[in-house]
Amino acid sequence: MNSTILMITAVLLLCNAAYAQPVDVYGYFEPQYSGIYIDGSYYQFQANKLRVDLKSKAIANTEFGANVIFLLYHGTTEWNILDFLPGQLTSTIPPEMRPFYTFRLKDTLYLDNVYARFALSRFAVTAGKQQISLGTGYFANPTDIFNTKDALDPTYEQPGHNAIRVDLQALPRLNLMALYSPIESDFASSGKMVRAKIGLGHFDISLMGCETQYTTTDFYTFGQTVERRHILGADLVGELFGMGTWAEGIYNFFENSEDGFEFLIGTDYTFDSGLYAMIEYHHNSLARSDHEDYDLNDWMRFFTGETKTIASDQFYALLQYPLTDMLTVGSSAVLSISDMSAAIIPMLHYSLFHNIELTLMGNIYIGEEGTAYSSSLGNGGFIRASVYF
Amino acid sequence: MNRTISRNVSIISLSVLLAATIPVMHLNAQEKMTADEILEILTETMNPEQSHGIMTMTIVTSSGQERTFKYETFSKDKGDKSLMEYLEPQRVKGQTILMLNDANDIWTYFPRTKRVRKLATHAKKQKVEGSDFSYEDMGASDAFIEEYNARRLDNEKKEGRSCFKLELTRKAESNASYSRVMLWVDEENFIPLVVDYYHEDDPELREKQLVCHDVQLIEDIYTPMNCTMYNKLDNTYTKMEIIDITYSVELSDDLFTEMGMQR
Repeated sequence: MNSTILMITAVLLLCNAAYAQPVDVYGYFEPQYSGIYIDGSYYQFQANKLRVDLKSKAIANTEFGANVIFLLYHGTTEWNILDFLPGQLTSTIPPEMRPFYTFRLKDTLYLDNVYARFALSRFAVTAGKQQISLGTGYFANPTDIFNTKDALDPTYEQPGHNAIRVDLQALPRLNLMALYSPIESDFASSGKMVRAKIGLGHFDISLMGCETQYTTTDFYTFGQTVERRHILGADLVGELFGMGTWAEGIYNFFENSEDGFEFLIGTDYTFDSGLYAMIEYHHNSLARSDHEDYDLNDWMRFFTGETKTIASDQFYALLQYPLTDMLTVGSSAVLSISDMSAAIIPMLHYSLFHNIELTLMGNIYIGEEGTAYSSSLGNGGFIRASVYF
Repeated sequence: MNRTISRNVSIISLSVLLAATIPVMHLNAQEKMTADEILEILTETMNPEQSHGIMTMTIVTSSGQERTFKYETFSKDKGDKSLMEYLEPQRVKGQTILMLNDANDIWTYFPRTKRVRKLATHAKKQKVEGSDFSYEDMGASDAFIEEYNARRLDNEKKEGRSCFKLELTRKAESNASYSRVMLWVDEENFIPLVVDYYHEDDPELREKQLVCHDVQLIEDIYTPMNCTMYNKLDNTYTKMEIIDITYSVELSDDLFTEMGMQR
């Protein structure tokens, strides 16, 4: 409660400062209604989100930015993950343990990004909680160790991450980046990353190395294992035979666990009619290749974001067509080759007014119980209005 | 080949984004000039060395709905490098598009996610924010010379001005998005006042028409302050207006980089 009051106070102070100093105040309000059918029952929940951004460039070469997010939930805000999983996995869970698998959508108020950025023409330092976006993939980004994308809505904004980031434009198409993420108690345990990005012809190619802490949870005992993880990775984006082409991949060296790798390749094309088509293939050796092997830990690690996928091999496809200047329709589909399940996600974007966008998205799961996109996970969708100010 | 697609609609962007340059020396148009000579002068003079401007783009749908975008543009090296950043509306504020090598390399920057995305050349066919201009249309270039064979027809009056009339036919090896282009170029200042674009697969089907007017002499450079692109198939149009522009500006190469986009 105290933190909430402090947060509100901080926001009010910042807003007040906005009137006294050259501070930009902007953001958006985003009501969203979601509905889902599960086993013949309909559940609904709403999320009302307000994001307020503050940005100041009052000092030369320096930018101060922050945003606060308010989230209010209504409707069915409590779910037990065990209700979605195959009986043979959940039957071994003692009744007294079931509440541990419940997650609640709680009303929240938090600072998502707070950073200071000092930038010269070829050099920049950004310190604080900030957006970090890595990789060239659309559906997933193996090189992005900070974020896990939602397969149903992969372009939605990601949370901020605490880091100190240094960027250097060594040559017009050579960027060097070093990043230190002091999330652990000491320097040795914290995350470090270096990346070099070079432009070669019509391609951008990045090489990266990373060291970070890797935590896995045993969801039977709720004990955690922490180990060091070293990563070598690369990504590229360009064009081959007139088609957009990209790829990214990493190799994980774990301190104790078995090493693993993850990669994604993709291609896209825009037809003369305006139809946009994209397809990606994603492989994660840390995930399972046979759904018979999925256990409770796999599911829970997937739901909690500890692992990016539960199935090792997936295809993602996207079609989008601008029906009018204001209306775009399309659909994406995810196919889990590992268990032959699929999710189909029809979507519609409409520019309602200058600063108001309407998004409708559905999700239809086609798969047997126990597969990555099992129909028992429920079918539904959401409607979202984004009102920018 | 790499410069192909981006160049075929160059007049649009040259006229609007780069604010065409017409030196006074060309005021006395030569009646006996060939089509290639006219195109050469047009292309040469419509590429200012560098420019910095504020513009608006208003999309008008078939049902009369309007969306207006305001953005800041920078260009350098006669349009080889260009950068545009949206200023309004809030929904897209801060989004930046960087085009290098005559728009054969395009990057977009999204400030909310801090993500930079490189687009392949086919993406130039996509509409910019739903407008009747594609990324391709925005890219500055000498497409008419590179991608088309030109033929001069009898002069005609357009928009109340005496104009050279040119017919451009796509070269066999070209990947240009339009099969045929008709140009009406002001005899006095070499501004293309009207440009008709014909469908990629049907040289008789007029797909778009660009009309430029309100030509002003700014810093010794003739500049069409208003241009409208009519989409004849969708019955929509997009107006582009220059709010402010200068050609007397020194732009650093560092602006036209990935870091420059995020500045």
